[in-house]
Amino acid sequence: MNLEELEKEVTRLEDIQEIENVQKMYGYYMDSHHREEVIDLFSDDFESLEIESTGLFLGKEGAKRFFLDNDLIEEGQKSVPGWINILILMDGAVIDVDPSGKTAKGRWSTWLAEAMTVGGLPRQQWVHGYYENEYVKENGRWLFKKLHWNVTFFTSFEAGWLRIPLLGVLNRKDADAPAPNFHPYPSGFHLPYHFSHPVTGE
Amino acid sequence: MATLEELQARITRLDDVKQIEKLQRIYGYYQDYGEWLKIVDLFTDNDPSVEEADRGVYKGKEGVKRYFVDLLGGGPDARQRPGWLSILFQLQGVVTVNPDGRTAKGRWYGMGMEAKPTVSLHEGELRQTWIHGIYENEYVKEDGKWKLKKLFFNLVFRTPYEDGWLKAPVVGQYGPDKVIKPDAPPTAYSPYPSGYHLPFSFKHPITGK
Repeated sequence: MNLEELEKEVTRLEDIQEIENVQKMYGYYMDSHHREEVIDLFSDDFESLEIESTGLFLGKEGAKRFFLDNDLIEEGQKSVPGWINILILMDGAVIDVDPSGKTAKGRWSTWLAEAMTVGGLPRQQWVHGYYENEYVKENGRWLFKKLHWNVTFFTSFEAGWLRIPLLGVLNRKDADAPAPNFHPYPSGFHLPYHFSHPVTGE
Repeated sequence: MATLEELQARITRLDDVKQIEKLQRIYGYYQDYGEWLKIVDLFTDNDPSVEEADRGVYKGKEGVKRYFVDLLGGGPDARQRPGWLSILFQLQGVVTVNPDGRTAKGRWYGMGMEAKPTVSLHEGELRQTWIHGIYENEYVKEDGKWKLKKLFFNLVFRTPYEDGWLKAPVVGQYGPDKVIKPDAPPTAYSPYPSGYHLPFSFKHPITGK
């Protein structure tokens, strides 16, 4: 390796670290309802946001609509009530940076413990899903290019995923389209991997 | 100031850890979906082994295939039953690469949620369970690629969702299979509440012991 190749390797390793941080910070901003900060993690050329079952939101405008019109705040409330809780564990990062060093893809497995209003009642939930996201490097910073969270189950703390795979459907009327990949448990849906098999390459 | 060669060695070490973490997490995704053949292909051809819970040790590439495809998968042509769920988070890896850069070890938590018929008193009925255990795995680098050499999952608990680990630490473990037999008996099966401590693959970072 010459100095140039070494620098490229170091940059790639740093890129992976920074992308992991962006994803984790997104989680921390979400759980503390810092929605403005979330939006600033998105590229101006942001493509699409798909969070089942809410729908498909296109472009940065769509993302702004999704996050800033906070559906955790009900009429007459100025901020998110304290009892509402979202804990998001971001696990299993598999990040692949494109050889160009300008774009990247990442898969994550997420586990959530939530308390919020579902179907008009205060509820506590266990939630699982996978992310398959795309990132872009602009002016030396990594940003979201595409965000896709695919729900596995959304169950009540009392019942569990086998008895109640889906506590409620959270469709949003302001989406650009219905969620294209909404196939929760027990559908057996497999969210495609962005990565190839690490040994066979298939 | 380090030489170019020394720097390269250090960067390779950092990349090795990243590659191994990625390998383990991809294994996790394949196991979530029950893609057993893809898991078999993550193993080296040279003396691999797998041991999980009380199922015993399956040795060699054929043994690994027998374990994943025949035992866990129910055979090469079996279809996954509707409602089958097996989500196992691959958490908190501590990966130690051998100084020669050719082998490595890794300790991980495997914690997750399942819905399987194996833990039912009534054949065919799915049950929902919490599962938790610790991995102590070994990896080997061949032709620039990291592969699984030894997969060892030491079960701590697998408990019905409704009961919890204190009331019912383990359900659905019946010892080594009578038909698809392992090559050796379980080496360290001692789930909660035995108090068993799975030995660490890493040395104490301060004392070195």
